Amino acid sequence: MEDQEILVKFDDPATRNVAFNQLVRKYQQKVYWHVRKMVIDHDDADDLTQDVFVKVWNHLASFRRDASLYTWIYRIATNECLSFLASKRRKFFLPLHDVGAELTAKVEADASLAGDEVERTLQKAILRLPDKQRLVFNLRYYDEMPYEQMAEVTGTSVGALKASYHHAVKKIEQYVTEASLNN
Amino acid sequence: MNTPFRLDKHPRRSQPPLASPPDRYFEQLPSRVMERVTSEVNSPVRWLGLLPAPLRTALASLVLLGGFATTYVLIQHPPTPPADSLASVPQQELVDYLLASDQRVTLTDLAELPATAQPLPETYLQASPSEVQDVLDAQPLEDTYL
Repeated sequence: MEDQEILVKFDDPATRNVAFNQLVRKYQQKVYWHVRKMVIDHDDADDLTQDVFVKVWNHLASFRRDASLYTWIYRIATNECLSFLASKRRKFFLPLHDVGAELTAKVEADASLAGDEVERTLQKAILRLPDKQRLVFNLRYYDEMPYEQMAEVTGTSVGALKASYHHAVKKIEQYVTEASLNN
Repeated sequence: MNTPFRLDKHPRRSQPPLASPPDRYFEQLPSRVMERVTSEVNSPVRWLGLLPAPLRTALASLVLLGGFATTYVLIQHPPTPPADSLASVPQQELVDYLLASDQRVTLTDLAELPATAQPLPETYLQASPSEVQDVLDAQPLEDTYL
């Protein structure tokens, strides 16, 4: 079902629930994996994904119909992730790198990375990035999202996003290179 | 590895190698979301959830301060004594209440009430204060009990 069709059905109280169910089915995997890449843990990602769709339900009536629904949902998901990580840091008085270390521990416990040392080191390097830079990296590297769309999602200029991605790549390459030399 | 690591030379994955979610997770997720959405719609305090977190915190603080202020005002101005409160009630309302209540009070009882409220000696002693004094002075001293 096309976004416009979903939105028209959502406006009608008689078909609202059906339309929203279609919307969740359409975007659930994208939202889940976008969130999961940021928070790593499945249970956290599950809670946040549900929170995102509850927010979508609450604010969809005021959504500008000329904007992209996909970008708008991504933006809500992004804000939820950043708020979650910031609140986690505040709650446990953790500095930046300790949250990265916690996420790294979760990745290391993942059996799917067993035997692939370079990939494991690469994931550690990504998780050491500051939250917002990691978000930019994920959107560009994994989702291959165009910079213009990323600018809409993050509310940042294209130039700033390009610079952020470039710095993120340099940091990752340096970390993996140094880790390889030390081993 | 002796050569510097280059990300563009590394095989690109569509997503990081994280464990897949539990089986049938995406089949069940829409119904779980719908469950939450419908329960929030029926919640009487749904509007609270729509407010931004800082505003919710400010609102909670305001309610707490309001509670303290009310307690302070009540301590400074204790409630009016019951007798004063009763005096401010119109007489007609009191009569209506007593007649309507289960106290077995009749209109005749209420009509006799003002007479009994007068000082008792006035009902049988028809004399002025000077006449009373004269009569007392005329009494022999040994017969008085003063």
